[in-house]
Amino acid sequence: MAKYLFLRLLDAIPTVFLVLTLVFVAMRILPGDPALAVLGANADGGQLEAFREKMGLNDPLWLQYLNFLWDAVRLDFGNSLMNDQPISRMIANNLPHTIYLTLLSVLLGLSMGIPLGVIAARNRNRPPDSALRIYSLMGYAIPDFYLAAILLVVFSLNLGWFPINGEGEGFWDGLHHLILPALTLALLKSAFLGRLTRTSLLEVLGRDYIRTARAKGAQEGRVVFHHGLRNAMLPLSTGIGISILATLSGSVAVELVFNRPGIGRLLIDAITERDYPVIQAGVMMFAFFVILVNLAMDVVYLIVDPRIRIKS
Amino acid sequence: MLTRRSMLGSAFAMTAAGLYAPRVWAASGDTLRFASAAGGPRKTDPNQTTQGSDNWAVIQMFEYLVMPPDGKFGVKPEDFAPWLAESWTTSDDAKTWVFTLRKGVQFHKGYGEMTADDVVRSFLRARDEGVSTSTYSNLANVTASGAYEVTMQLSNPDPMFLGSTVATRNAMIVSKKAEAELGEKFATDPIGTGPYQIDTFDPDKGMFLSRHDGYWGEPAIIPKVECLYIADTTARTLALLAGDVDMIEGVRQPGWVPQMQQQKSDLIFDITAPGSFNTLFFNLSKDPLQNIQIRKAIMHGINKQEIVDALQPMARMSYTLNPPNYPTGFALEDLPEDLRYEYDPDEAKKMLADAGMPNGFKIPVNTSQREDYKTQHLIIQEQLRQIGIELDLTIMDHSAYHAANRENLNTLNINSSSLPPVPLYVFNQYAPSSANMTPDGKGGANYSHYGVEMPGVDDLLGQMLQTTTYDDYVAKGREVELQIQRDLPMAGLPTIGYLVVRNPRVDIGFPLEGGYAYWRFCKAKFVA
Repeated sequence: MAKYLFLRLLDAIPTVFLVLTLVFVAMRILPGDPALAVLGANADGGQLEAFREKMGLNDPLWLQYLNFLWDAVRLDFGNSLMNDQPISRMIANNLPHTIYLTLLSVLLGLSMGIPLGVIAARNRNRPPDSALRIYSLMGYAIPDFYLAAILLVVFSLNLGWFPINGEGEGFWDGLHHLILPALTLALLKSAFLGRLTRTSLLEVLGRDYIRTARAKGAQEGRVVFHHGLRNAMLPLSTGIGISILATLSGSVAVELVFNRPGIGRLLIDAITERDYPVIQAGVMMFAFFVILVNLAMDVVYLIVDPRIRIKS
Repeated sequence: MLTRRSMLGSAFAMTAAGLYAPRVWAASGDTLRFASAAGGPRKTDPNQTTQGSDNWAVIQMFEYLVMPPDGKFGVKPEDFAPWLAESWTTSDDAKTWVFTLRKGVQFHKGYGEMTADDVVRSFLRARDEGVSTSTYSNLANVTASGAYEVTMQLSNPDPMFLGSTVATRNAMIVSKKAEAELGEKFATDPIGTGPYQIDTFDPDKGMFLSRHDGYWGEPAIIPKVECLYIADTTARTLALLAGDVDMIEGVRQPGWVPQMQQQKSDLIFDITAPGSFNTLFFNLSKDPLQNIQIRKAIMHGINKQEIVDALQPMARMSYTLNPPNYPTGFALEDLPEDLRYEYDPDEAKKMLADAGMPNGFKIPVNTSQREDYKTQHLIIQEQLRQIGIELDLTIMDHSAYHAANRENLNTLNINSSSLPPVPLYVFNQYAPSSANMTPDGKGGANYSHYGVEMPGVDDLLGQMLQTTTYDDYVAKGREVELQIQRDLPMAGLPTIGYLVVRNPRVDIGFPLEGGYAYWRFCKAKFVA
């Protein structure tokens, strides 16, 4: 297994290189000028030129690219063009909040989505199944920032149960601030995961070995959870992986509405302001996480599906 | 994607206000919290700030030698009151200015008393090292002519020197000793003389200030100020409604203020006039805008009143480059009739016909996704369609929009900027050939190529630069204004005031009429 994982890690190197190159090129193609973004529309030509010179933006592109790659290899992200803060510190301040949000929302999403999917599969074409279908449709249709705002108005503004914004201080306060944003994402995730669980489980429940288990007199709970759900886990684990990645990269709206620090918010601000080094570092972090989560999913496959274990 | 999101977000903010069940305002009594619409602070050294939101902290911590009235700009020299300078004299040629400093002014955090050396350093660094050095290029020499006296020698006369240079942000007084000691850290932990000092600079949250106990003047009433950053409209609105913050930067888009007022009638809306100047630039290097008949037709086709109505209560009418409440700005009735360019679609069509384009024309125009820009461009697009001119509008993100403008890729661009009532400052930004925008992006903000594609106002500006009295200065400035109006390379659109929404329990201590988009909190108090 170690060799398998090592080979997968080696596979990731060209991916990271490609991502870095794409980000570098995309940033330079994108219209917009960091000097103007920093100094404002009324800055005169001399000021703009001095800024570009100071930040190395006047260097030939190939030199900027080589410098960028060299810095990336050394994990030296440099300083933000906007506020001169070390980017490593900016990421260190923001990344944990995105990870907490991702973990809690996936956990809540799973704890809601899987039972819903099981109930729907067990009640195929009956009211609980229809209810899940409607719930899933709503989950797909409602934008995350809109749901976030509704929850904020109801639970924070009117009921006063949760804080309006920020990330809190300390574990309990932090958790208190985290629940509503995580719930927002979890509700949307549970719609997806519930639907996925239902589909996977229905497919498995139609298999011969399930019929055999029932014919042997196995209790329905054992049939569903032991034989059914366990075998439905493979597509479900893929869905969970996708869900984690989607939250890592797509939590920006929730971070904005709840005014929480986070890597998504950091990146959006950086894109708006053409803060190249921050964008490059942020995207590199995302690429790293994509690789890490994919690797984790591979490990899960190895555990869940003995066939892969044998092949590898 | 972001545009749709921000639109829905704003719409939601309005809905949220509707769903909101009123609660007792609940903020703490010793801290004033202000939330601006930005992601986070960049710097707070007055000579380094490039983000408008950061100035909310700067204005609490730093002071000028002379002070404009609270809540408005200083328009005339006599509007400025002694502040860190107790008095000043000027030579007959308005080129030598001597300031006598107030004694006993203490810097924050024990950095000692302000002396002439600190003032000299503050002005020289603004001229030589800051982010707005061109504003200070007229400063030939700044010397300490005594321990508490500073002499400033100008290259050219400037009867409006107090407004153009002395009471400007980059030249706010800083501690020379602290700057030398703190080095780069000074950008986020600066030392000034103001009624508040910085405690914490958090690049993710904001700046946290506390009362400067050694302040030379009336101490601040509220002990602490937090300048927070909440970029999202919904989050900011809800934070205000929940009482988490006391004041927020409002949203300058049609319908936002009336909706908020309707839902929560006791909110207070502070609006500056003029706030942002909006200038429509005709790119004289693009067909068919070289033809003045076409430019006049466009102006007659634009109904500015509709823009003002759409952006109530922030918008005010403007008829020339400078708005009417600025020294060289004109009220409608003061303008010669042929330079008023009042809304008259029939006249516009006639002018188009005279220019050989009776059926109008189509022209590509870029606009920014920022609400104030987009709203104006969309209204103008609809109005000009009525006279046969079709604006093929491309909505770009804000940074890309300005970059495209700087690379000569726009035709009828709007520029919004908060400019002071210093006529030469405004003209020098937009009108001289030396500020000509060049396609390599290295030029200035003269987006029209005025003075390059056609004769401009360089000579008049040169004459204005040599005036030695304020009255002559303004008189020459009004000549410039009329010449621009006659040549029509650019035109003033309605101004849009800066908007802050305030919890009714906060009294800021003075009436707010104008000034920059930030004001002092030292007189603010909680009234309930």
